[in-house]
Formats: sequence, structure tokens, C-alpha cells
Amino acid sequence: MINLAQKDVQHTLGKFLVTAMGVGMLLGIVLIMIGVYRGMIIDAQVLLDDIGADVWVVQEDTLGPFAEASRVHEDLRDTVRVIDGVKSAEALTFQNIQLPQKPSPVRVVAVGFDPFGMVNPVSPKRMVAGRGLMRSHYEMVVTDKTGYHVGDVIRLLRHDYHVVGVTHGTVSSGGEPLIYVSLKDAQELQFSYSNNRIRTDRARGIEGAEGHMVNAIVARVKPGYSIDEVAKNIETTLHKGVFTATQERTLLTQNLIKMASKQIGMFTGILVIVSTIIIALIIYTMTLEKIKEIAIMKLVGIPNSMIVKMIAQETLLLGVLAFIFANLFSHLIYSKFPKRVVLEIPDAWMLFGVVIVASLLASLAGIKKVISADPQAAIGG
Amino acid sequence: MATEAGIRVENLYKHFGKRDTLVRVIEGASFEVNKGELVALIAPSGAGKTTLLMMIGCVEEPTSGTIWLGDEKVYEDKWLTKEQRKIRREKIGFIFQAHYLIPFLNVIENVTLVPQTNGVSEQEANKIAMELLEYFDIGDKAKAMPSALSGGQNQRVAIARALANKPQIILADEPTAALDSKRSVDVVKMLKKIAIEQNVAVIMVTHDEAMLPLCDRILKIEDKKVVSENVSVQEKIL
Repeated sequence: MINLAQKDVQHTLGKFLVTAMGVGMLLGIVLIMIGVYRGMIIDAQVLLDDIGADVWVVQEDTLGPFAEASRVHEDLRDTVRVIDGVKSAEALTFQNIQLPQKPSPVRVVAVGFDPFGMVNPVSPKRMVAGRGLMRSHYEMVVTDKTGYHVGDVIRLLRHDYHVVGVTHGTVSSGGEPLIYVSLKDAQELQFSYSNNRIRTDRARGIEGAEGHMVNAIVARVKPGYSIDEVAKNIETTLHKGVFTATQERTLLTQNLIKMASKQIGMFTGILVIVSTIIIALIIYTMTLEKIKEIAIMKLVGIPNSMIVKMIAQETLLLGVLAFIFANLFSHLIYSKFPKRVVLEIPDAWMLFGVVIVASLLASLAGIKKVISADPQAAIGG
Repeated sequence: MATEAGIRVENLYKHFGKRDTLVRVIEGASFEVNKGELVALIAPSGAGKTTLLMMIGCVEEPTSGTIWLGDEKVYEDKWLTKEQRKIRREKIGFIFQAHYLIPFLNVIENVTLVPQTNGVSEQEANKIAMELLEYFDIGDKAKAMPSALSGGQNQRVAIARALANKPQIILADEPTAALDSKRSVDVVKMLKKIAIEQNVAVIMVTHDEAMLPLCDRILKIEDKKVVSENVSVQEKIL
């Protein structure tokens, strides 16, 4: 039996492929949008995973240090260390800074930690060059997206920092590149004021106690102890905000990026609707172009089912080709995006399902036209 | 040999519109076309030739009357079957002023489309199609697309398509209008030959009086009725 859809597509193959390519690029953007969302979720957890803490101790009544600002004294670390069940505790700082020209200024998040402590957020598996911090001062590990390399010297405030290591894929929960400095350097970068400011503060009776503030204390729990119970114990004893790693992850993935996911979800939904409308318009136009042939077929007795099958098959083929082009297009360009884009196979299959449903819906307009086509239109007056 | 009616129309009416906009096109037409007969249908423009053809072809629903196609009564004040398209596919061959081939199918696919839809196997349909194409001297064009053929070749393919389902009736709507006089004569002679050889009733709408002597009879629409006229011997000689 003659496959009308196959014959029609063969007859206008170039036009059909270009159309599928156009729709595919649109669907590719849908995949990229989903990939951006996936990337955000992964980015949000990079630091959490690398730090590997069981418990986060932050300023009381805050959701710090990522969802809200948090400041606690550095010596809180020592208090946490003596809580029953705590294996180790370290202080961490997080701050936004801007690295100078390379070739343009780079906005980064600096993570301050004790290079000789028990918690090292620089994961060895993410190191692509050099080494981690081994000195208390003026060393820096940067992520490759900053454009800096091992051996580069970066001037920040009054000091030169030597880049000793480069990591890959390390970003903050907001997607900015990370750099790592020692806790003391981080505190200096955060609280180093000008001489004029220091004089003014002294005149006001304010002494520079801020220099020993940090953003969070992270702790690891001894084997055999319940993380939840240790966290509860810290909270009861120290009256600070305490979150387990799971709670902190929830804060990041659900609360922090909730708005972003809604935003991206809406964009994705709108793009899918637009794609459906475009496919419907294309199929409707293609049907209109063939209306004379369709009328002839009806006139000579070809049943509607055969003609409708032709339209439905062409629409599905357009959808499938567009889906293939969407994957090619998105895989070609995703690495060019400044923030992480993660293309996952389940997302692609989900989009495939959506495309098939959208294609079938889109074919309805063309099918309606086929059914209503008057066979007498074939012969005119 | 006893003549057998291929088409029989009794007291056929066709009106368009209602009340103030009512247009009476055909008023009580009755006629027969026998198998093996080529009949010309003539009338001034707008007199209802195509409408009559479309009613016989089960495309346009009459207002009232009776239509027989062969020994099957298909219409008696209403369609007697819901499958008019099946009747068209199985009993009728259509030929138009232009060839109206499906542009995305090649010649043999155009010819085999209807038989294959009727359930004839692809192999058998291709065999029938090739015989017809050979008969019309275009066997070598079987795999060509319609766009690659001349107007005359395409019209021959269209006639082959009309014959591929072994119809009992051929309805030809001005099949020679787009052809020069020599080719027009060839096509009408071909229709005549088909009518005789395949025992098919052929109605041909035409404006070309030069084609009339080649026909067996003339049906004329006059005052909304159909009048049958014999072609005079003199005309036949001409």
C-alpha cells in the first residue's frame, strides 16, 4: 500500500527538513531551559557536597549561610567541638568579591576555611591543576571559569594572592565561580577597613571585634551518633540556628531555587505551547497547500482515514525530526552557556512524550481541514 | 447484443438555496446511458453540466429523483448508502479538464492508488497499471513524476487512473479543454474505444462541437431538463 505521508515528505524533503530544524531549535531551547534548571539544582549542592558537613551552625533565627545572612563568632567552633557526638568542627566564611581584569572583572564567591583544619571544601576530585591551600596566607585556589591559572598573582586589597590550584565545576548556590582562601585572609578581605574608618570607629568606641566573625560553623558527627540528635543538642546548648546537611540541602534546592524553577517552568511551558502552535500552523499550511490534491483524492474515492493518516503521520514525523534536531542543537550549544546546563536523558524522553502529544494535537487543525474539504473543490465550477 | 444501462436517471431535481435565494438547476431530468456508449453532455455555461455530473458521480446530493449506477440504485430521494465514496472508488472513473494527478506520487503510483485502496494487491495493481500505461503508450514514464511529463502525457495518465479500478462508468468533465484539436480528437477517440472495449458507460461534458460527431449520442440541458439527441449521420461523417 502506498504510504502517502512518505511520498509527500519525499516530494518536499528539503522544505520539510528545514521546517523540522526550525521547530527543533525551538524545542532545543526547551531542553536548554530544563538543563539550566537541572544545572541550578546541581550548582546549589556543589559546595554542600564538597564541604561534606553533617551539621551547620548559623546565627540564631536565620536560615544562613546561603538562604539568609549569618554571622557567628569564630570561637563558636571551639564550643561546638566539645559537644557530645561532634567529631570535628570548623569555621567557614562566604563572601562575594570581584576579581580584577582577566580579561574582564569576574564576580566570584570566596570560601574561607582553615587550610589546616578537618574540613577542606576543596575537593581533590575537582582539582584540575596545582594543589590545595597549604599556607595560612596569600594563597588562593580558583575555579577554571575565572580564567586564572596556577602561578597567576591577584591583587586584593593590600596583598598579592598566588593562585596555587585550579578546580573545575565549582560554583556557589547562585552559580557564580568559587575561589578558596584561608579563613584569616577571608576575614581580612571581609573586615579590612580603611585607616579613616578605623579611626572613626575608635572615636565612636567601636573596636574591631568583627575581624573574628565567620558565617557558619560546620561539624561532622562521630560514627554511632545520630546527626539529628547531635544537631538538636547543639541547638539546645548554644541557642544557635542548627541545620542538618539534609535540611540545608532542602533550604538550597527547594527554597532558594523555588522561584527560579517556577520561572523556568513557565518559560518551558510557554515554549512548548508556542512550539505546538507553530507545528499546528505548519501542518495547517501544509494541508492547505495540498487541499486540491486532497479534494481529488476524496473525489476519486480515497477514504478520509487514509488522508487523515497522511496528515497525522507527517505531523508525527515533523515532531520526531524536530525532537532529534532539538537534541543535536542543544548538545551543540549547551557548553557555551556561562552557567551550568545539564542535559539529562529522562528530560529528553519527557520532552519526546510532550512533543508527540503536542504533534497529535497540532495535527487536529489539519485533520479538521481534511474532513471538511469539499471534493468538488477539485474541479472548480 | 442487448444494451445494458450503465447509468439511469429518473426525474432528477437539483435546487440550491431556499425561498428568495432558490435556484433551480435541474428540473426532472430523466435519461439513460448504456454501457459501451460515449455520450456528450452539452449546455451553456452555468446550465448545470458539472452539477449533473457530480450528482451521477455521488459527489453532489440531488434534491430528489432516482439514480441507478449499473444495477445498483444509489439514490432515491436520499442516498441509499452511506458509502458514496466507496461507490466512486469501485464503480466510477473520473477524468477532468486538467489532469489533477497527485503531484507527490509518480505515474504508476497515481494509477495504482485507487485499486490498492480497493484492496487489490500492489503487484496486481502494478500489473494493471503497466498494461494501461502501455496501452496509452506511456509505459516508459511509469516512474516519472507528473511534473516531468507534458500536458498530453499527464492527461493520458489521468485517463489510465480513471480506468485502473475497472469502472462501470466514466465521467469526463471537459477532458479536451486544455488540449489542442488533434490531441482532443485522440482523447475522445480513446474514450470511445474504451467505452466499447471495456463495456463502460461514458459521459463527457464538452463545449467543443467538433468532438460531438465522435460521440454516440448527445445529452443537452435545455430549460433545466435533459434532452437526448442522436448525432446525425452528417455530423458523424464530419
